[in-house]
Amino acid sequence: MTDADGDPPAGGAAERPPPPDGPRLPRGDLLRSRVVPVPGDLLEDALDRRLTGYATVVAGDALLLDGQGRGLLTFEDGVPVVAYHERTGRGGEAALADLTRGPWRVELSACDPAGLAHAHAVEAWRVPPGVPAERVAAAPDLAERTRRRAPDGRIGDDDPDLGAVEAFLEDTDRIEQVRAEARAEAERRAREWGLEKQFVDHH
Amino acid sequence: MVEAVAVASGKGGTGKTTTTLALGMALAEEHDVTVVDADTGMANLLFHAGLGDADTTLHDVLLDAAPVEAATYDRFGMRVVPCGTSLAAFEAADPDRLREVVATLAHDTDVLLLDSPATLGSKSAVLPVVLADRTVVVLEPTIPALSDGLKVGEYATAYGTDVAGVLFNKVRGDAGRVVEKAGRYFDGPTLGQVPSSEAARAARRAGEPLLAHAPDSEAARAFRDAAGRLDPKPGAPERVADRFRSAVIPDPP
Repeated sequence: MTDADGDPPAGGAAERPPPPDGPRLPRGDLLRSRVVPVPGDLLEDALDRRLTGYATVVAGDALLLDGQGRGLLTFEDGVPVVAYHERTGRGGEAALADLTRGPWRVELSACDPAGLAHAHAVEAWRVPPGVPAERVAAAPDLAERTRRRAPDGRIGDDDPDLGAVEAFLEDTDRIEQVRAEARAEAERRAREWGLEKQFVDHH
Repeated sequence: MVEAVAVASGKGGTGKTTTTLALGMALAEEHDVTVVDADTGMANLLFHAGLGDADTTLHDVLLDAAPVEAATYDRFGMRVVPCGTSLAAFEAADPDRLREVVATLAHDTDVLLLDSPATLGSKSAVLPVVLADRTVVVLEPTIPALSDGLKVGEYATAYGTDVAGVLFNKVRGDAGRVVEKAGRYFDGPTLGQVPSSEAARAARRAGEPLLAHAPDSEAARAFRDAAGRLDPKPGAPERVADRFRSAVIPDPP
């Protein structure tokens, strides 16, 4: 991320190719820096504050794949607009799949809406308003509140908005990590809980 | 003849209890079905089954204050064994008796459905998955639900419990690509996609299983189709009974 240069966005959203170096966001005013255990906390905070600005998200120590780079999520009036991840260089719903494992250190910053215009003009980075809450935080009520806050033009009709979930499922390394951790945890807990017999009997 | 099937999700809010009762009612058309609220710390099933005023529940049985027959109710073509809502009763209950209860029920039914806790965080919570013959994994098309569902699948496999299949619940629109991609990571088949449904919420408010409250709803049809793919394979009751009896005593959470 680099500071915005103040130039107005060029061309229509659909015509603008994603800049290779990711969103250019202004410094903004830091409102909050904290570790959140679930992503819904971040989204609800931004919605309740009616934040116009952005969140930078750094995965916690427990993460391996997400240990590098920041995720970025911008907001207008508390509603998510753009998602991007510096490690993967992906934007849009795919970037949401890169933000899914917590805990997260989150910094919320407010800024002038003009400073977000460049990023918001890149169609490939935009996310449907309710998707971060619905698909990443699994918080349908929060997603519904977010959709109600969103401008009319941003809400599709029956679009299932499953791009983030598909991106998660396409990341075979990530899935294998989840499964391997679960297997290791199951084995460790079998010992803790005295269930070795059941565990070993079937292998 | 009995097959014990755990209905599990790893996370709350996926509609696991709705699913358990829907599968139970659908299977009850051909089989003798008993549904047990194995989520003893978060009683839920009694409200879905219109048993909110039940005098005797599984908690009483676990407190050794009642025989299991007294906590078994004939409802909607199934036998239903609900838990009570008293946390004090839950904490005082003897969890070791759960195995005896299930072993007893196993002698008198074809399909034993265990509505399992929405967590893998304690021995009590994991025990239904450990002890069941098969597990149905209930998913929503969200990243946390899939991630937790994958964990349930790994736990089940680690304990030698087959994955009977995955069932996508609360689906809005067409989740076909997500279902297809998720299917690659689970051992069992995809049992179905159940659409997000106001009927399911209304059924819960009415204290009725979805298949009783709105049998012709799209969601009810999807659950019946899923049950048809479950293909129960009742085995010898002694096998399930022995597994439950021989399991270690679970700690209260």
